[in-house]
Amino acid sequence: MDYFRPRSVEEAVTLGQSPGAAFLGGGTDLVLQMRQGKVNPQCLIDVHNLAELKEIRRNGDVLELGSMVTFSEVSDSNLLQDSARALWLAGQTMGSPAIRNQATIGGNLGNGSPAADAIPALLALDAEVCLRSQAGEEVISLAVFLERYPLLAPGTLIWKFLVPLRGWQSGFAKLGRRRALAIARLSVAVALKTEGETVMDLRVAFGAVGKRAFLSPALAARFIGRELDVHWRTEMISGSQELVRETLKTRASAPYKAVAVGGVMHQALMLLQE
Amino acid sequence: MNIELRVNEQDFRLVVEPDERLLDVLRNRLGLIGTKEGCGEGECGACTILMDGKAVNSCLVLAAQAVGHELMTIEGVGDRLHPHPLQKSFVELGAVQCGFCTPGMILSAKALLDRNSQPSEEEIKEAMSGNLCRCTGYDKIVKAVQRAAEEVAR
Repeated sequence: MDYFRPRSVEEAVTLGQSPGAAFLGGGTDLVLQMRQGKVNPQCLIDVHNLAELKEIRRNGDVLELGSMVTFSEVSDSNLLQDSARALWLAGQTMGSPAIRNQATIGGNLGNGSPAADAIPALLALDAEVCLRSQAGEEVISLAVFLERYPLLAPGTLIWKFLVPLRGWQSGFAKLGRRRALAIARLSVAVALKTEGETVMDLRVAFGAVGKRAFLSPALAARFIGRELDVHWRTEMISGSQELVRETLKTRASAPYKAVAVGGVMHQALMLLQE
Repeated sequence: MNIELRVNEQDFRLVVEPDERLLDVLRNRLGLIGTKEGCGEGECGACTILMDGKAVNSCLVLAAQAVGHELMTIEGVGDRLHPHPLQKSFVELGAVQCGFCTPGMILSAKALLDRNSQPSEEEIKEAMSGNLCRCTGYDKIVKAVQRAAEEVAR
């Protein structure tokens, strides 16, 4: 096996052309998967320390988040706390402190786990993903990107995320077997725009319900144009329970998750910032 | 592949496999066996070390990824004659029973105290949430960290 530590995104993408190449982020998933024999890359391209991929910055009305930003960096960021609260909350609850210090948001997407914590938050925040490959750059809505199978073509590097800053409120909550255990059993992210008490726009995303995190525009549509009051909240909770019941159908986890999502949704709504 | 690691303020030149875990290099090549392997999948925290002052699970990091970072294992925290306040308080308050989780516990606690010298009980529990102990019931561990924080503050 070969190991490379490129000094630029350019170089990383060039190295990514090698047969059997895999990009290595924090390693919290990949190192384990290699050891378990689930993946056998012939060549590791370690990008976890590339400065270009570690930036969190505001660029006009867009927040740019490098793919190698760690969950600790997410949860330590005042900028994210103020402007992308759902992601900030996801950063705080993902894994244990030691996992958060290594694990990256790009790795969270690239690993393709149904339970990836950052993904529902980024979906609710309407993030775009920027990809880099020999073919050039591609900017694609995360929601659209998640419909791809396989997720990433060989040699494609997750470069950064673009999160629009629209002044929306957002929240995130999850259910795990143990707080510091890396895997969410169920997660909910909500982002909404209000004028006075009226919900003008809304995005609702779910994680660990099915193969990949997803947005539910149909659920959201029922709650736009209405007053954000106790009825709204109660119906949103029961609406998410129906949605999860329909999505999971006869799966073994359905009876549990279809009920539990109500509590997780309740918590996500409680965590919306003022 | 040839790498250089800086561990406990010492530099080491090593030949390692590209897919060799930092945990294995610390234990097998450097003889720093204070770092333990429990679950081997980032759940138990027995292999916790500090990388640039931050706690990481050395079972989930490749040795090659640690190049250029400052590493600290339990051997670098203190010794029999000069124990760190955490090591002293863990012993004095009975926070060590079988001792397998202790190096990881001490390093997670050190990462906390180094950035927050007066943590609340909740902050201590959060900082130690990735470290499992099957003996003590955690109560004595939390108290030991509180005692060490008092001593560090003094």
